[in-house]
Amino acid sequence: MAGLGRAALLLSLGLVAYALVAGSYAAWRRRRRLALSAQNALLASFVSTLVAAAVLWSALARRDFSFVYVSEHINRSLPLGYALSAFWGGQEGSLLLWLMILSGYAALAVWLNRRTRDLIAWVVPVLAGVAFFFAFMLCFVSSPFKTAPAPADGAGMVPSLQNPYMLAHPPLLYLGYVGLTIPFAFAMGALLSRRTDERWIVATRRWTLAAWTFLGVGQLLGAHWAYVEIGWGGYYAWDPVENAAFMPWLAATAFLHSVMIQEKRGMLKLWNMILVALAFCLSIFGTFLTRSGVINSIHSFSQSPLGGWFLGFIVLVTAFSVTLIYVRLPLLRARTKLESLVSREAAFLYNNLLLVAFCLTILWGVVYPLLTEALRGETRSVSKPYYNFFLHSFGLPLLLLMGIGPLVAWRRASLRSLGRMFVLPLAAAVVTGVALIALGFDSSIPGLLAYTFSAFVAASIALEFWRGTRATGSLVRLVARNRRRYGGYLVHAAVLLFAIGVAGSSAYQTVRERGLQRGQSMTVAGYTLTYEQLAARQEANALATRATIDVSRGGSHVTTLYPGKNDYPVAPGGPTTSNEVSIYHDPRNLGDVFLIADQIDKGGTLYLKALVKPLVNLIWAAGFLFVFGSLVAMWPDAVEQRRLAERYAAGAVAA
Amino acid sequence: MRRSPARLVIALSVAAALAVFVVYTAVAGAGTPQIQPNDLARHHGHVLLVGKVVSAGGDAHSSGGLRFVLRNVTGHPAARARVVYHGSVPDLFKTGREVVVTGAMSNGTFVADTDSLTTKCPSKYQPAPPKSTT
Amino acid sequence: MTLGLVVGGVLAVLAVLYVARPFLREPAPASDVLDEPGELERRRLELVEERDRALLALKELEFDHRTGKTTDADYRELVGPLRRRAADALQALEPRAEARHERIRSSR
Repeated sequence: MAGLGRAALLLSLGLVAYALVAGSYAAWRRRRRLALSAQNALLASFVSTLVAAAVLWSALARRDFSFVYVSEHINRSLPLGYALSAFWGGQEGSLLLWLMILSGYAALAVWLNRRTRDLIAWVVPVLAGVAFFFAFMLCFVSSPFKTAPAPADGAGMVPSLQNPYMLAHPPLLYLGYVGLTIPFAFAMGALLSRRTDERWIVATRRWTLAAWTFLGVGQLLGAHWAYVEIGWGGYYAWDPVENAAFMPWLAATAFLHSVMIQEKRGMLKLWNMILVALAFCLSIFGTFLTRSGVINSIHSFSQSPLGGWFLGFIVLVTAFSVTLIYVRLPLLRARTKLESLVSREAAFLYNNLLLVAFCLTILWGVVYPLLTEALRGETRSVSKPYYNFFLHSFGLPLLLLMGIGPLVAWRRASLRSLGRMFVLPLAAAVVTGVALIALGFDSSIPGLLAYTFSAFVAASIALEFWRGTRATGSLVRLVARNRRRYGGYLVHAAVLLFAIGVAGSSAYQTVRERGLQRGQSMTVAGYTLTYEQLAARQEANALATRATIDVSRGGSHVTTLYPGKNDYPVAPGGPTTSNEVSIYHDPRNLGDVFLIADQIDKGGTLYLKALVKPLVNLIWAAGFLFVFGSLVAMWPDAVEQRRLAERYAAGAVAA
Repeated sequence: MRRSPARLVIALSVAAALAVFVVYTAVAGAGTPQIQPNDLARHHGHVLLVGKVVSAGGDAHSSGGLRFVLRNVTGHPAARARVVYHGSVPDLFKTGREVVVTGAMSNGTFVADTDSLTTKCPSKYQPAPPKSTT
Repeated sequence: MTLGLVVGGVLAVLAVLYVARPFLREPAPASDVLDEPGELERRRLELVEERDRALLALKELEFDHRTGKTTDADYRELVGPLRRRAADALQALEPRAEARHERIRSSR
């Protein structure tokens, strides 16, 4: 069966190679049948990649340990769901997942837009080029179909990966990362085919939104997994691999906004080309970081030869994009200018600048160790203080801008209209600020600012919905007729919830750590935690030790929590101990009481670390609103679809 | 406005961002050096020490602290560093693991910052618990 | 093992057939040239996008005015040029629409 997998991958490689070469030639020489043939090759590569994926999945399901990949990532006792998820648990499998999603997306995008032949003629080779790289890696550098004499049992899966979040996190993240390839390919295709119209944007608008949503949700799931499973009390550590997903997401956020300007005003064409290329390059860079072990990261994969190949590919893609954009510069001249610095266009521009600046500072922080080592021979790194400084410097203005943008009219806003629009949100912000200071929340200035700005944004969004409903007569009709705008406002509301959750759980959290004997108590933020007893229980594959902690408040019992540890005698890399945190979701402040059994002595002394994190559950709730808002924004609008179809199809009638 | 202010806005913003950045790196110091045990002699200030655990003993929550010895990950096989550490110990910590810890040398022993110990994952795709409490 | 070989073989053959399909279906076509929008078509697309932009801008201005975001004074100042832009774009498209219908009629 491994032979079939290898053959399928080789077939994919051959097909995308053909699509790349023949497709480029056909587009250049305007050969219709050859272009169609290249298109077919790209579509067919999805089928052959699926076959390869099916082979690997079947090997995992059957526990076929003759596959080296299978024996390295699962064992017989692993439940089926997790065994299947081991597909993306390792280097080779995750590369195959990437290729599978890429060829699937490519097939769909090309199929949906097949009538715009001249554009697709160039999009096909660009997509094929990217797919070629991954197929090449899979065939010759990092194959999931290596075989060896089958051992009696496999190495098993690392315990921290055996939970539902890890089933969803990598695929969602990849659906996002890889999704950014589509707008990139269409943008480059537009440049290559010398098109000056907005066809490529119209074709990829939903792709970009969908990819961006997947990337956002994927990151949120990863953060939640880190929070409950790794359990150090946080959800984001500015680790290079976390940043690797955050950077393309920021670039894509900027792109989503600035593309609206291009559609409405015909401006920022060059900027959008640069942004879409940046987002794509960052997505490849992100996966390079994760795989090459080049940065000292707690997430890095083992040092592998892949790093060099990926770096080469990134250099190639960057050089290609920059050259193409430069050569086609005359096509990207704007025909309209920014009329006023006080307009919604300008607000979008400021938003873009802040997002890109933030993205670049994170990039700088990530590559800093590499640069210092190369230039000074000594490795230096930056950490949380650096990232937090820029999170506050750029994030807080961005938060405020989210509230200002909707209040400003397109083209030009007079100060008088601004004043009228700003009154209520400003009042909300001031009232909130004063109230918070009175309640003692000024212990953290960034936190206070975040809350105050959030009040402004919340009022601004609420007013938009209210005014709009008043003008159209019904909320449903309002949203249905202006899906992108009001879907966007819902997404903003989600970001707002997220920001409030982050501010509360970081700026206003309380942390206490104490060594407790049985019967002793400690207090944290008004809660009293009493260590009652310790118990050990044998579970299927681990010895579970749990401390019973009574949580009370003001003398009355609130809940009982059971932090502890799991000892796994059998795990890849040898016997492992994992931290099992215990969390109480407090409805009073939408926050958590988070307990970590830091260390349990033989004598029964428990070193308990307790964190009280107000509002942290808003972060996860924001995820749901985020997806809902995105869906609203993406939802097809029959009227608009018809208009666009007429716009682009009518041309085909001529000649 | 006849002339587009967009370019001016962009240029000013880029300049502003760079200014913020330069000020930060100048004031806050340009990162923390990342070194291995063989380099310890040369560095007197606060550093990030990377190494492989050779031996360990003691209790990180006691006054004596967790005491362990690190060797280089790459090169200089004879170099050693003695570390004394207080705070949370990651579950993956054990002999043979690669660890990262911040601190400074003091009288021949590397005194680590509290809660700054993190381990590198022994195999693919496995994050180890970081110290930060974000 | 043999099943794998057979499946692989079938897959490869199907792939080759699918890739060759355009040539097999039209061994001797009248024209093998890939259409690309001519100068006329590019201009038309430009105008259509311009028209749609102008119409959308008008619609948004009306909405902003109705919801109070744009004051009466601002509205009066902005609506004139926008209407003119939309009218210009619509008019620029008209002769083309005429010409296109003419071409279709004459080609029948």
